[in-house]
Amino acid sequence: MVAVGILPRDIAIYAVPVVTLMLGLLIGYFAQRSGYCSIGGFRDFYLFRHTRLLSGYITLILASFVGYLIFWFIIPSAMEGFFWANTNGLFTAIPGAPGGLSPAAYFLFAIIPGFFIGLICVYLGGCPIRQTVMASEGNYKAAWFFVGMCIGSIIFAAWVSGAVVVLMKSVGFGV
Amino acid sequence: MSDKSGSEHTGQSHRDWMRHPAFLGALIGILAAFTQALLISAGGPVAYGFCVACHTRDLVNGLTNIVAGTHLALAPISANAVLPVMSIVGVLIGGYVAAKSTKEHKIRKGTNLDYVIYFLAGVIVLQLAMIFGGCPYRAALRTGYGDLSALVFILSMAAGVIVGAYIMLKWAEREEA
Repeated sequence: MVAVGILPRDIAIYAVPVVTLMLGLLIGYFAQRSGYCSIGGFRDFYLFRHTRLLSGYITLILASFVGYLIFWFIIPSAMEGFFWANTNGLFTAIPGAPGGLSPAAYFLFAIIPGFFIGLICVYLGGCPIRQTVMASEGNYKAAWFFVGMCIGSIIFAAWVSGAVVVLMKSVGFGV
Repeated sequence: MSDKSGSEHTGQSHRDWMRHPAFLGALIGILAAFTQALLISAGGPVAYGFCVACHTRDLVNGLTNIVAGTHLALAPISANAVLPVMSIVGVLIGGYVAAKSTKEHKIRKGTNLDYVIYFLAGVIVLQLAMIFGGCPYRAALRTGYGDLSALVFILSMAAGVIVGAYIMLKWAEREEA
């Protein structure tokens, strides 16, 4: 089934960069004003019992559910497979990670990267969006983090993605 | 903490509701759903309205493919569109405008060692995020969409943050002693 949104496909392909650019402008502006950070939310709550940043992240989870629910009512053809755990099975991952592996592999892909992203980013002092915003504020260290993400994109597509799939299949996580 | 971070903004002086993180959380959540409803005809995946790691990957790989004629992998929505998703360009410009307009823009330099550490951390964090299929933000969107494996990611990330913060607390105590 091909998902159909509000805009027809031949207009949507032109709208993608424009709409996402405007979305990014809004997010960047308010992220700078609020100091928005997901990792910082958990960190501040653990260390100081501050709930300000954590409330932002929890609101995001709840608001996205409400948002998807509303648009699922308005235009169900655009909300393919909503509510995912109900339509696709419990703990089945939404596509995005390297494909062709068993559901157990995606469970590991949630646990292991999650833990290490938390560990690394708390040392750096911010999650990816915080680093990106700090780079735009003139922080050279955060700018180097962003450059690392850009170079990492090419490294991932060229080598790591394939290597991870081969590795996971060799230890019995293929389908 | 090792760096200027979000906690600096936790003071009581900011009473303006537009500066509260919960406002941005609600904004991203609703707009991500709206963006999907608007653009999904161009291609999937679902719950892809905003993601720092994936959208950086799409931007870099998409532009590299256009300029260098390579075939680096990216999400269908960016591969099908005339240009890849531009939200990260928007975040950089939006953050810059906000920082300039409030005179918070300030060049902060580190040592060369800092730059190497942050660069390598950027490379590693992106690999980890791509193996999962999203950064903490797409994890939140996926959870909202009903993907419970993304909730596992968030809980695992919280555990990583607690372990990391505990280790840094111990380091700081040792330096004081």
